[in-house]
Amino acid sequence: MTPTPSPASPTTSEADEQVLRPHAEQAFADELAALAAVDERPRPPRWHLSPWAVTTYLLGGTLDDGTVITPKYVGRRRLMEVAVASLATDRALLLLGVPGTAKTWVSEHLAAAISGDSTLLVQGTAGTPEESLRYGWNYARLLAEGPSRAALVPSPVMRAMESGSVARIEELTRIPADVQDALISLLSEKTMPVPELDTEAQARPGFNVIATANNRDKGVNDLSSALQRRFTTVVLPLPDSLEEEVEIVRSRVASLSSSLALPEDVAPLAEVARVVQVFRELRSGSTDDQRTALKSPSATLSTAEAISVVVNGATLSAHFGDGRVNAEDVAASLVGAVVKDPVADRVVWQEYLETVVRDRHEWADLYRACRDLG
Amino acid sequence: MTSADAATGTEPPLFRHAGVHVLGVRHHGPGSARSVLRALTELEPDAVVIEGAPELDALVPHAGDAGLVPPVAGLVYVADEPRRASFYPLAEFSPEWVALRWAAERGVPVGFADLPAAHAFALASAAAAEPDAEPTADEPDADEDEGSDAGEQRPAASRLDPLATLARAAGYEDAERWWEDAVEHRRGGHDSVLPAFAAVSQAMAEVRAIEESREGFTDVENDRREASMRRVLRAVAAEHEVVAVVCGAYHAPRLEESAWPPKSHDTRTLTKLPKVKVTATWAPWSAGRLATESGYGAGVTSPGWYQHLFAAWRDGTDVVSGWLARVARELRTEGIDAPPASVVETVRAAEALAALRDRPSVGLSELTDATTAVLCGGSELPMRLIHDRLVVGSALGSVPEHLPRTPLAQDLAKQQRSCRLKVTPEPQTVSLDLRRDAGRARSLLLHRLRLLGVGWGTELPGWGAGTFREEWELAWEPELEVAVVEAGLHGTTVLDAASGKVAEEARRAGDLATLGGLVEQCLLAELPDAVGPVVDALAERTAQHADALALLRAVEPLARTRRYGDVRGSDTHRVAEVLRTIARRGSVGLRPACVTLDDDAAEAMRAAVDAAHRGLALLEGDPLAGDLGPAWTQALGAVAGDDRVHGSVAGRACRLLLDGGHLAADEAAARMGRRLSRGADAAAGAAWLDGFLDGDALLLLHDATLLGLVDQWVAGVPEETFEDLLPLLRRTFSRYTPPERAQIGTRLRRGPKPAASSSEERLDLGLGMPAALTVAEMLGLPLRAAADVLDDVADDQEVSA
Repeated sequence: MTPTPSPASPTTSEADEQVLRPHAEQAFADELAALAAVDERPRPPRWHLSPWAVTTYLLGGTLDDGTVITPKYVGRRRLMEVAVASLATDRALLLLGVPGTAKTWVSEHLAAAISGDSTLLVQGTAGTPEESLRYGWNYARLLAEGPSRAALVPSPVMRAMESGSVARIEELTRIPADVQDALISLLSEKTMPVPELDTEAQARPGFNVIATANNRDKGVNDLSSALQRRFTTVVLPLPDSLEEEVEIVRSRVASLSSSLALPEDVAPLAEVARVVQVFRELRSGSTDDQRTALKSPSATLSTAEAISVVVNGATLSAHFGDGRVNAEDVAASLVGAVVKDPVADRVVWQEYLETVVRDRHEWADLYRACRDLG
Repeated sequence: MTSADAATGTEPPLFRHAGVHVLGVRHHGPGSARSVLRALTELEPDAVVIEGAPELDALVPHAGDAGLVPPVAGLVYVADEPRRASFYPLAEFSPEWVALRWAAERGVPVGFADLPAAHAFALASAAAAEPDAEPTADEPDADEDEGSDAGEQRPAASRLDPLATLARAAGYEDAERWWEDAVEHRRGGHDSVLPAFAAVSQAMAEVRAIEESREGFTDVENDRREASMRRVLRAVAAEHEVVAVVCGAYHAPRLEESAWPPKSHDTRTLTKLPKVKVTATWAPWSAGRLATESGYGAGVTSPGWYQHLFAAWRDGTDVVSGWLARVARELRTEGIDAPPASVVETVRAAEALAALRDRPSVGLSELTDATTAVLCGGSELPMRLIHDRLVVGSALGSVPEHLPRTPLAQDLAKQQRSCRLKVTPEPQTVSLDLRRDAGRARSLLLHRLRLLGVGWGTELPGWGAGTFREEWELAWEPELEVAVVEAGLHGTTVLDAASGKVAEEARRAGDLATLGGLVEQCLLAELPDAVGPVVDALAERTAQHADALALLRAVEPLARTRRYGDVRGSDTHRVAEVLRTIARRGSVGLRPACVTLDDDAAEAMRAAVDAAHRGLALLEGDPLAGDLGPAWTQALGAVAGDDRVHGSVAGRACRLLLDGGHLAADEAAARMGRRLSRGADAAAGAAWLDGFLDGDALLLLHDATLLGLVDQWVAGVPEETFEDLLPLLRRTFSRYTPPERAQIGTRLRRGPKPAASSSEERLDLGLGMPAALTVAEMLGLPLRAAADVLDDVADDQEVSA
């Protein structure tokens, strides 16, 4: 893989211009290369980086040669350490969390840092068949040539086994329970028999699975205890502090606006902080100073939604406004994010508006903007 | 220790390391304990000195006793004022304990060195007396020092944390973790352990040099303590060739022989110190108390883990797998699958984590993280269980009986044994049946201890009719030892002390209600010697008191005493006499006492009237009742019939009379109409209604007369008046829960005579019998009696049919 320049720079290569969102290993190729250059610690077989370097890649830091590694995950260090340590001991990793807690983000970056490839991906849905986890057939070839290795279509998991890299399974709990079961013996035996060809695919060292699941949608297809036992579970929490969450939103908005060709400083920090504070207050059911109790709306109000509110506002202001995000720009998407249930949530939002936003003098613009929306 | 000394560590073992060897440790550090043990084996000292108040020397003879099981604490207290006490907790993994046991087993002389507690207590009270005085830090190395003043907490002076300074120098953010990695977890090779102690001492000397170079640095407290330690060391070193000193690492550099100042310097530091008389004893301690979270700054956060480390190192077993096996067992008791295969995976995860974090070995944080992720599916909840049961643990030490304990403590131990009540720190619930001797004995002990201020048991609110049952929650906290010592001032046995304490309280108590409560307590705790003085005091105060309120408040406890005294076989004649006087005077005084009451006073009076009424109702069937009842009814009547009395009290009195059948329903209706008419003050009317309808909604629901009264009044009242009163009515009725209000509404809609709808209320005895029998069994009624009750019901039905 060649190091690609930052997507925002004018010299962006043609290939990058054609994708909306480059893979982690492409977007951060220079950081990965810099880490690999200084990393002298022992690496598990087929790992591109040592566990230490993977952790540094995720949590950020400054290398001895002065390269700055941007933090990919802002939050508790020990969670990432547990995740990396688990993968280093050949144990599959399950990232659990409510929507918008960076589960997919973390799993993509882990795969990119460990195997240099985050594309061995199964996107779990209620209709995911067993073939997506095991293998399918190219029926034209199967009929023409009979069963052969060439007619077999390996799943991303099977390809990861054969190449000794990390496979990702998104939304594991949405996959039907009987399909999930295919993973049980796969994870313990590390082989995938192909009875049709009287052969098997044996996992090479370096193979592992990172799954993500939503614990808000529990009950969709709960993991069986046999499967759960094969995973090391890391629960990704909502950000602990306001500052942490503001930082997450700010950095993601900055990287998203560059890929949307928006100006760099379109979202001022104060506006981001205000949106995040509204989200946190409504989510926790009390104001930041713990003085006023609030009702919580039905929406999750995750960090990811805060990001999308700010990006929305940024787009509005860049195309229709003065190029700086202000209260009017965020108000529309803010109300849309909070009010998911048109009756119950509207009451909650009106209460919040009248009891909290109105009394904050420096928030008068936001109050007016939200009032105007009705 | 100089570097020359350290070099001698590699000499052949036959060489005697003459001189004073300072072993600087972290208190309660298992690694330190291991190192101390190795150092002692290596040095074979002629004498051992341990940091701690020299008064603890008196406890040394018992150190080798097999009955002394850690965790225990050396308890030093002011003889006249046991509340002021210092504890020196020792766990099995404490370096001090290791040194003490090592010396005791080999008959090596061992002693304690520190500022004598006699001075420390006196200095502390002197400092407390002069609040303006420069605050001196009580605990110089608060994060690691063991002596902690339970009684007096003083603000910690801002000071350099020596460990934090060293940790920062080593690139660690967390001082505790640095010490664990650098010292505690150091894998012992076969070389001498002495250079390590020398290194600790030197490092600490550097830190203290930095600290002392700060401007305006004075530390009188530590100067005194270290001077005292050196004084002891000089005396010991004069008689013995090889001396080992176990002390907090902070003090180590000042105790090195080479750093000793001239003797005169120390003598000067220690002259003219005030003194008090102190006593020392061993007290059992608990793991929970060792943990910092329980409030003793001296503690460690994970005594259970340290114990495990120490035991694993001692026995040469594997720390990580041993710990996780225990974790898995605990999880399984709570129904969480923790199969061996997962435990193996957890071990691997913990080891990988330690490698990732560049730690020399797996520590508690790695084990916790790995357990959460692998065994508990990312859930923090089971980890709390692990924290309580394993990381802290529930170990409770014990102390042999023949130790110099206070006589009261000995008596208590004897009674705890004979009552077969287990002394554990975890709360346990015991249910006592007072009809059996064993139950009564336990109940007596618990009540007596409660009177003595030894809060071992908390009585749980029983069920209403629980006159022969008691439920207690027992939890023995180590600081109760202090309470026991303190209670020892009142007497030498539990019985004597409780009687003495009650008699003293009775002398001091001012008001009748307290005395009444004391009488009741005496009865519960069966203190025949104490009842006399309390009743005397009560009689005397009654004669002096004209306050009807106080008199009325004393009625209920006394009546309960009278009523249930016989159950417990106590003599209540004296109580009956006093009760008669009190109740009579209360009855007579009630009317005059109700003349000028403001709202607050009226509330208090209403509560007192209610209580007195309940008390007198208890006496049903007692000859006293015939004596007191009419006077009380008359008093209530006077209050109820007087429109000038505060509505709240008058309304209540009216209701009590109505319930007792002493007031005709139509008379009550007339009074209600009068009180609630337009001409009367609305607020007063509301208060009256409030008093009248106070209590359970069930009464209103099931008492047809009462409900009919209210209903008729509402139906008859003019519309304007009703509208005026509506807010007041709403306020009164808002006290009932919505379902209760709904039921009242239904009942009213059904008509004034609920009996008319008897068809749906008719009991099907065949269906109801099994339920009734079960209830009877739960209440402990004999089945024969239950059957009689049911027969009665059946008879009633026939009559009404």
